[in-house]
Amino acid sequence: MLVELLIVFALMAAGLVLLAPDEYAGQFAAVLSLVPVGVSLWMYSVFDGTGNALLSGGQPAFETMASWITLGPYAINWHVGLDGVSMPLIVLTTILTTLAIVSAWTPIDERESQFYGLVLFMQAALIGVFSALDFLLWFVFWEAVLVPMYFLIGVWGGPRRKYAAIKFFVYTNVASLVMFVGFFTLVFGLGDSISTLGLPAIAQALNAGQLGSVAGFSPDVIKLAAFVALFFGFAVKVPVVPFHTWLPDAHVEAPTPVSVLLAGVLLKMGTYALLRFNFTMLADIARANATYIAIFAVVSVIYGALLALAQQDLKRIVAYSSISSMGYVILGLIAFTPHGVGGATFQMVSHGLISGLMFMAVGVIYNETHTRMIGDMSGMADRMPVTAGVFVAAAFGYMGLPLMSGFAAEVLVFMGAFESTTIPAAPLFTGIAMFGIVIVAGYLLRAMQKTLFGPFRLETDYDIGRAPLQDVAPLFVLLALVIALGVAPDLFYRMIQDAVFEVTALGLGGGA
Amino acid sequence: MVSAFEFVPAIAVLPLVSFVVALAFGKWMPKKGALAGIFATAGSLLLSIWTVLTVAGILGSETAYHEEIWQFATGIGTFDLHLGVFVDPLSSLMLLIVSLISLLVFVFSLGYMNDENETGLPRYYASLSLFSFSMLAFVFADNILMAFMFFELVGLCSFLLIGFWFREDAPPSAAKKAFLVTRFGDFFFLIGVVGIFATFGTGLFVTEAGFPAMAEQAISGEMPGTVADFLEPLGMGAQGWFTILGLLVLGGVVGKSAQFPLHTWLPDAMEGPTPVSALIHAATMVAAGVYLVARMYGFYLLTPTTMGIIALIGGFTALFAATMGVVKQELKQVLAYSTISQYGYMMLALGSGGYVAAVFHLTTHAVFKALLFLGAGSVIIAMHHNENMWDMGGLKEKMPVTYWTFLSGSLALAGIFPFAGFWSKDEVLYEALIHGLGDPVILVAWAMGLLAVFLTGFYTFRMVFLTFHGEPRTDDAEDPHGVRWNVKLPLGVLGVLAATLGFINMVPVAKLTGAHIDFLHKWLVGSEIVNAEFLTGLHVYEDLLPYESAYIAGGEVPTLLISAALSLGLALAGVGLAYRLYAVPEPVEHTKKLGGLRTLLMHNYYQDEYQVWLAEGVTLPLARVADTFDQGIIDGVVNGISSVSLFSGDRIRRIQTGVVSNYAALLTIGLALLLIAFGIVGGWF
Amino acid sequence: MVPAEYYLLLSAAMFCIGLFGILTRRNALLFLMSVELMLNAASINFVAFSLQWGNLTGQVFTLFLMALAAAEVAIGIGIILVLYRNFADIDVTKPTTMRW
Repeated sequence: MLVELLIVFALMAAGLVLLAPDEYAGQFAAVLSLVPVGVSLWMYSVFDGTGNALLSGGQPAFETMASWITLGPYAINWHVGLDGVSMPLIVLTTILTTLAIVSAWTPIDERESQFYGLVLFMQAALIGVFSALDFLLWFVFWEAVLVPMYFLIGVWGGPRRKYAAIKFFVYTNVASLVMFVGFFTLVFGLGDSISTLGLPAIAQALNAGQLGSVAGFSPDVIKLAAFVALFFGFAVKVPVVPFHTWLPDAHVEAPTPVSVLLAGVLLKMGTYALLRFNFTMLADIARANATYIAIFAVVSVIYGALLALAQQDLKRIVAYSSISSMGYVILGLIAFTPHGVGGATFQMVSHGLISGLMFMAVGVIYNETHTRMIGDMSGMADRMPVTAGVFVAAAFGYMGLPLMSGFAAEVLVFMGAFESTTIPAAPLFTGIAMFGIVIVAGYLLRAMQKTLFGPFRLETDYDIGRAPLQDVAPLFVLLALVIALGVAPDLFYRMIQDAVFEVTALGLGGGA
Repeated sequence: MVSAFEFVPAIAVLPLVSFVVALAFGKWMPKKGALAGIFATAGSLLLSIWTVLTVAGILGSETAYHEEIWQFATGIGTFDLHLGVFVDPLSSLMLLIVSLISLLVFVFSLGYMNDENETGLPRYYASLSLFSFSMLAFVFADNILMAFMFFELVGLCSFLLIGFWFREDAPPSAAKKAFLVTRFGDFFFLIGVVGIFATFGTGLFVTEAGFPAMAEQAISGEMPGTVADFLEPLGMGAQGWFTILGLLVLGGVVGKSAQFPLHTWLPDAMEGPTPVSALIHAATMVAAGVYLVARMYGFYLLTPTTMGIIALIGGFTALFAATMGVVKQELKQVLAYSTISQYGYMMLALGSGGYVAAVFHLTTHAVFKALLFLGAGSVIIAMHHNENMWDMGGLKEKMPVTYWTFLSGSLALAGIFPFAGFWSKDEVLYEALIHGLGDPVILVAWAMGLLAVFLTGFYTFRMVFLTFHGEPRTDDAEDPHGVRWNVKLPLGVLGVLAATLGFINMVPVAKLTGAHIDFLHKWLVGSEIVNAEFLTGLHVYEDLLPYESAYIAGGEVPTLLISAALSLGLALAGVGLAYRLYAVPEPVEHTKKLGGLRTLLMHNYYQDEYQVWLAEGVTLPLARVADTFDQGIIDGVVNGISSVSLFSGDRIRRIQTGVVSNYAALLTIGLALLLIAFGIVGGWF
Repeated sequence: MVPAEYYLLLSAAMFCIGLFGILTRRNALLFLMSVELMLNAASINFVAFSLQWGNLTGQVFTLFLMALAAAEVAIGIGIILVLYRNFADIDVTKPTTMRW
């Protein structure tokens, strides 16, 4: 019942915060959000799941199932549980939510109670997405995430917030629609072989090759069509080039704490779903089309990094580099090797922490200077030494500095991809993707040199001083986490390996 | 009895602790964190000495050590990643060098930084400690992933320290360049690391389970299963693939050890504080590249192509950098180019099979280059931070300790008998010569290295004469700022070492007299266990050596003598020329005589220009084009779809006239059309 | 018994007259009357089929329809009154403010 506790508590907290007076809403929300942090950490410590929750050998932890709706021939259950892939993501979600709330104290100064209420509501939905094991339940949570996000960008955002919010909402909603249609094609194709919309049942039925034909189309065609629909649906969320253009706009307009959650957790929904659906349920199709998917991944990495190089806005730089980093996740997933898929999953967590750290660092500078343009400032390290120090640490984390989590994730992805037999010419693809680590160093070093170092200069009229403790403290927490995971990736990596190992054997000659 | 080996991790961890202490509490500590660093590195030095003694077999029978200390990432159904410690003669020697130089640099920094009232000292000492930590951990790494990790951390520290004076424009720019250029090399290195793990399923340097041993089996025909599994789908032979892997790893070496064409970061790195330059050049960052090749020498020996390329890069860099050193006007610039050149010699030695020679030169160079940089630092303090040699002159009388120790280092650098550099450089050239006689590539590399000896002698003593001899040319040189014990002590220690360290491996004397005084050689041969179990002893490497030795003038001893005479003669000639031109009371520039060559040399062969062009003239415009494409085409399509929807909605809604009769008419027409359609489909007509 | 076709023809004719009225008249009162005609055409159909099949449901529906028509007229005339108050006219083509 712990998962339910997390979700229900977050919902209740959202309601309570909504009613709280604006002056105390931030503090109140932060205190309330500590409970999910504690619960999720405790869950992590007693985690006893084995294998992959979707596959026959797996036994998710904290599993509960209750009858919910019966829809025609399908029983729809309240079915949640955590395996080695979802557990780290839950921890990531709860921790990032708390830190995002604290980092919002300074920049958010109107309608506070509504802001924090929406953030907590989103947390509930996110936990649901990562724990649901029934399709309809999962889909409800999936869509529920969009609503608070829309308002968070649209109400508290920058000058072009309406454009960004609508773009985000419409883009991701269209993607959800396509994904939904694709998934139900599969469900109809499976016919009588499933009696629930439970994800494990569907995954196992699909991998057992029980897909029939629908409307005269052969199972292979159905699978491919469904794969494409699902891939598009999730690729928008990740985002994969060329479906990425909502992301920079959303990030630039969103207030910092929202960017933290957007980059830190929301993007992971896409890769998480890709792993669960495309690469677990339709592994054979994924393998057959590995070349194209690897091209998507490599293009995302290199193209995203190049775009970041051309930006002048610090937030845009981080936003584009997120695209680049998420490309590594796709590359790892398609490798279908233990380190590839495991590294990709680890990268989800790691990137969540590091991009959150990066956005917060940019946010702290913005709070003081009210500008994010590289050309508007220089020598900030002179006035904000601690912030600058953390910024440097975050940037190096992003560049994949060893002993920080990004390095472990990237190197595992590269190793997994390099030895992959699924991707043709895997060493070549991997080598090209790895050039991303040079470009990322290029643009982050350039950004640092121009903003942090050199003689002090600021083109805005604000008096800047050292950032308040409440702004800087979340940075240190995140930095500590990044370093802890970088020194001991096994904290998460062991359970991830356990959960993804079975996935890597899927789609090899069996089934279709 | 406790073994020193159990404390080897502490050699690196002590500076890490001092990093944390200096960063967190340095502000409130006396000397702002320097003491933490001094105590930590002193501890490391003591532990290193203990380790060396243990490896020497003096303290027990266990003479090498390998232990996995930290499971990094567990793989299920695949390989694990771990951090481990490996101690053998090579790594213990390197531990000793690194901790010694680090300690001396810390002490020197008291004079260079604290006495000069610099700000930001906790940051300085923290970075310095982190630097020592990274390098020490790199040295005892037992696998290539761990080596890569600390290799990268070394890069971070160099970034932090080169950019120490971040309030100015130049140091952050130089720091960025240093990190970026080495990153470019590390990109290849990382591919190599990943490739090695993918190929062999391990990155272990040593033992039968390590990748060099597996590679040897693969080449000799007994292909291990994992290697076969990887190579088969790839469709490549073992030899070819290993050459590629070796070259990829070499990319990182070229970057960090500042070899051509990735040497451009190093002269710029002089923007950092001078003690940092000493550390970077002598013992840590730049040494890391060469050390890495030595560490995985068993792998490189298997691929003669790679060996040839290493030798060629080394020989070329030795000569190339020396030519640029000839025209520089700033003290530290000359030293920077000399570093590049000297590491070229080490690469030359490694590529031509002179493993001992390379390690020997690495050792002596660490000492005399640290000495020269610290000496230069002392001069810079005296000159109120003016580095231009043309503003100096006549410092000999005013700073005798600095002068005599600097001279000792310069003689070593120039390779004058009997200073340390002579013995090591001579051995490098000798090894290259005997192996080059049967291999034209090595011979070309040798010839370039030999030519560089002359230039080295010349630029070294040009520097000495301009700085210390003649008449003072400015007021600062007239009345230099004094230095204290904390500067003189490290200079003294290193000065003595620079003069004497060569005696640890006097191969020519040993060969001539038959006395077994080639101690370093014997040290690297290692004990039984090093050769048989860990496979890093010299016997193992000698068995794998792809070259035949050939001699001129009928034998080993004459060849040795000819080689020594050649290099010493050329070095003396260089010194002599420098003496003629610059050892006068009022020296003038002679660089004009070089004509067009001068411009080329002053611009460093336009190496910086083309690399900047690659970064700013190619990559940045490409990024801008990508940005335009992204905003215009991709986002244009997205916005286009939305515009089309909005526009068509805008048009279609005009049907809604608001006039009820029109709606009724539309309804009627719709009904009629539906009826007709049903009629046609239903076959009523 | 009169066959159902005759009733249907009658109702079709009434429906068309009503439709014609809606399409051509501009006076709101005439509009309302035309609508009533079309509604009654439907009622005739109900009754006719009810008679044909001997099933009373159709006739019950017609009773409902009559009540509905009465309510509709009440609302319709109310709307017309508001229309007149706002536009000083009961021409249905005048009020066009309820468009895009």
